[in-house]
Amino acid sequence: MHIERDLVGGDVLLKVAGRLDTPNAKPFEASLMEVVSTTGGGIVVNLAGVDYVSSSGLRALLVAGKAMRTAKRRLALEALQPQIREVFDISGFSTLFEIS
Amino acid sequence: MSTSPAADTLVSALQVGAELAAISDATAWLGALGAREGWPDALRFGLELSVEEALTNVISYGFAAVDHAPQIRLEVYRQPHGRVAVRLIDNGIAFDPTGLPEPDPAASIEEARIGGHGVQLMRHFLESLSYRRAGGENQLTLVAGPKAAD
Repeated sequence: MHIERDLVGGDVLLKVAGRLDTPNAKPFEASLMEVVSTTGGGIVVNLAGVDYVSSSGLRALLVAGKAMRTAKRRLALEALQPQIREVFDISGFSTLFEIS
Repeated sequence: MSTSPAADTLVSALQVGAELAAISDATAWLGALGAREGWPDALRFGLELSVEEALTNVISYGFAAVDHAPQIRLEVYRQPHGRVAVRLIDNGIAFDPTGLPEPDPAASIEEARIGGHGVQLMRHFLESLSYRRAGGENQLTLVAGPKAAD
């Protein structure tokens, strides 16, 4: 797994690549939460380079999503590959997150 | 003890370590096997995901209270009509994931429960998921079919 970080406008753009599987989920969650706690604007997670996500990966996003909602900040996801979108749809995560 | 129908052909088997880091190796092995066997991409994706969800449960909860050495094994069978069966065998505590309830759909991110989505994903991506306990082992059989490619 690889995460690239940019500042776009006032938002942090995280470009994630690789597999969001169980072994990667903890470091992924830690990276997200580090951005949540050290920045004050919105966060956009670009998943174009992610070709696999399991429930552990979803869980990491949910933890970050809850923290951002509590802080009244925006967390958006973008560029989901079709199979990733399917996982989001089945688990109900498509309606929980802003996805573009 | 195997009870596979005669039509099933064992393609390959793998011993899996009882730590979460071993899951990546197991799914990579399954993915490479799928490429060699010519599984459709959607079948391979769904099977990798389902095996990961099942392994995560076994490794996370199966051996916390046992004092014998963990044994986890994956067997992959070729079945008629392009179906693939994966049998996950472990000697952890008895655990039947087929009866696990699915989480209620959450109306908002505040209400969403963390966890519980693995079984939902398995039911979606698999044609069948069956469990039996025999000889001190859990045997979970995951069957995926080519219709997952639609």
